[in-house]
Amino acid sequence: MASQSRRTPLERVEYVLIVSTLLLLVVFTLQPLLNLLALSLSDPSKVAGFSGLSIFPDGFSPDVWLLLLQHPNVQRGIFNSVWMTATSVCIGVFGTALMAWGMSRPGLPGRRLIFILVLVTIVFEPGIIPDYFLMKRMGLLNTPWSVIMYKAVSAWYLIILIRFFEEIPKELLEAAELDGANPFQTFFMVVLPLAKPALATIALFYLVLHWNEFFRAMIYLNDQSKWPLQVVLRQFVIEGDKIAIVGANNVNNNLGLAQINIRALKAGMILITILPILAIYPLILKFFTKGTMSGALKG
Amino acid sequence: MVARNKQRTGVALADGNVPARESAPGAETVRIEGELANTLLASRTGMREKVRQWWPYYAMMAPGLLFFFIWHYVPIWEAKMAFENVRIIPPNIWVGWKNFQVLFASPIFYQVLANTLIISGMKILFVFPVPIMVALLLNEVRSGKLRGAVQSAIYLPHFLSWVVIAGVFIALLSPTDGAVNQIQTAMGFEPVNYMTNTGTIRWVLVVSEIWRSAGWDSLLYLAAIFAIDPQLYEAAEMDGANRWQKIWHVTIPGIVPTIATLFILNMGMFLSADLNQIINMQNAVNASTIDIIDTYVYRMGLSTGEYALATAAGLFKAVIGMALVLVSHFVSKRLTGKGVW
Repeated sequence: MASQSRRTPLERVEYVLIVSTLLLLVVFTLQPLLNLLALSLSDPSKVAGFSGLSIFPDGFSPDVWLLLLQHPNVQRGIFNSVWMTATSVCIGVFGTALMAWGMSRPGLPGRRLIFILVLVTIVFEPGIIPDYFLMKRMGLLNTPWSVIMYKAVSAWYLIILIRFFEEIPKELLEAAELDGANPFQTFFMVVLPLAKPALATIALFYLVLHWNEFFRAMIYLNDQSKWPLQVVLRQFVIEGDKIAIVGANNVNNNLGLAQINIRALKAGMILITILPILAIYPLILKFFTKGTMSGALKG
Repeated sequence: MVARNKQRTGVALADGNVPARESAPGAETVRIEGELANTLLASRTGMREKVRQWWPYYAMMAPGLLFFFIWHYVPIWEAKMAFENVRIIPPNIWVGWKNFQVLFASPIFYQVLANTLIISGMKILFVFPVPIMVALLLNEVRSGKLRGAVQSAIYLPHFLSWVVIAGVFIALLSPTDGAVNQIQTAMGFEPVNYMTNTGTIRWVLVVSEIWRSAGWDSLLYLAAIFAIDPQLYEAAEMDGANRWQKIWHVTIPGIVPTIATLFILNMGMFLSADLNQIINMQNAVNASTIDIIDTYVYRMGLSTGEYALATAAGLFKAVIGMALVLVSHFVSKRLTGKGVW
């Protein structure tokens, strides 16, 4: 409070400059997304000359969103993304937690060796071609399992969880043992409930990771019917394959979707893909921020 | 030949052993095994006890261990392809370093290597300092609410996929309706198609990387700033230090270890230059300007079918990359006490 009264005019100007710079950064971050949102919600007849600078829809129409959400390719993409991500997250969280629990026990025989073997995987990655041939050899190519199982347990998140489990007070575990709990019971009835915040954080990490995964899905899955949403989006927006969404017949005869401006459709597709991330964004802010802050402080 | 003969003798010996064991009386075998177990127990006290105590943990770790073995260690074995002539009908033929010789003799390899180094260099130079500046600015904001709102906004792009970000940037940089070119034409400049201009595409990579990561990465620095002892600021204020003097003499020295750690770790990623970003920003016109080792591996391996050559290039990157990461880890550990893990 004391410093507030001592503030000189120069300091006030400085403060205004600092805040404006940050607000400029906010505009730089959000304007492109808001522009796409406005574009996708504008009246289709007014979309043609829609400015890249505007963040307000010109007229209002949910047509683009409705047409996209009713489109079989989009629906299939959403369906594939949702179930593949959900499965990966479940496998990832349980696999990581179980392994981290064992590795966090100080006396575990071979603990150091396993640690080194896990660290090696962070440092040395032989590349996408050996991975591809492994998938082929296992007969997983062109099945969703190639994408779901691909590195379902992350070395990074494993290390985070080990650090967390190491800090569980010894007394609690000893108390459970005295009550006659075996290691499985201790894990499921004492450790897991204690680790809820850490598990939620890991689950969110995996969720974002798997929802955004496109590269492996792109190279492992040939059938368009198996594509997750990210690959459908890529085909349409990055590869510019109009037919993927609009349909050859519609393009030729200028029917249905083809009458809607392609820019608005692309904008709508981008937003549909990031909608789940936006939906869980408050949780992300809560858990990711806390996780990263505490990790950085602890070092 | 020698090795094969040895193997055969080994098999023969093993075969010879089996009847011998079968002919021995059952009771004696049990007694011998019991003795063996006793000596084992005597030499390694509590072996059985150890197994009894730890098997549940190994049982719980089994799925994870299996995953690491299959997805991380089997591919290392598969990478032997780099030393083979890969044939459609197996078996492949061992050719030693021949694929690497072909790779190092091809001019394209040096082009992609140069592109990788240029793009990584540009990112270190122009992307790396931005989050530091953002954190310094955020730290000056007095209102917690305002700071929180700014943070929530600028962290968002970190959680979007490169497919989405590329889509956003293609729209943003469109020569007809994109915001950037609209501003440019309003100011009287000619519109530029940034995505297909070989002079600008690398800058698109830099700016889109800033868009994605500057906000989120500032969090690490902000955490370091918050950990600085407030007494240092009070002491500086007593000495009459103004805002900039406090930043220069207290805040920046306080976060130098974090800056050093992250800088060194970034150096460890020098050969990566981000495949996921580039594969979504690449198009027919700009391809050669932003063709990096990873896109080369992808194209040669999965489009052209030059599996051995692509694996060799991937292995080259993996080995040099490993050396870089290890060096950076140990340098960072030495200097700042923090490493990659």
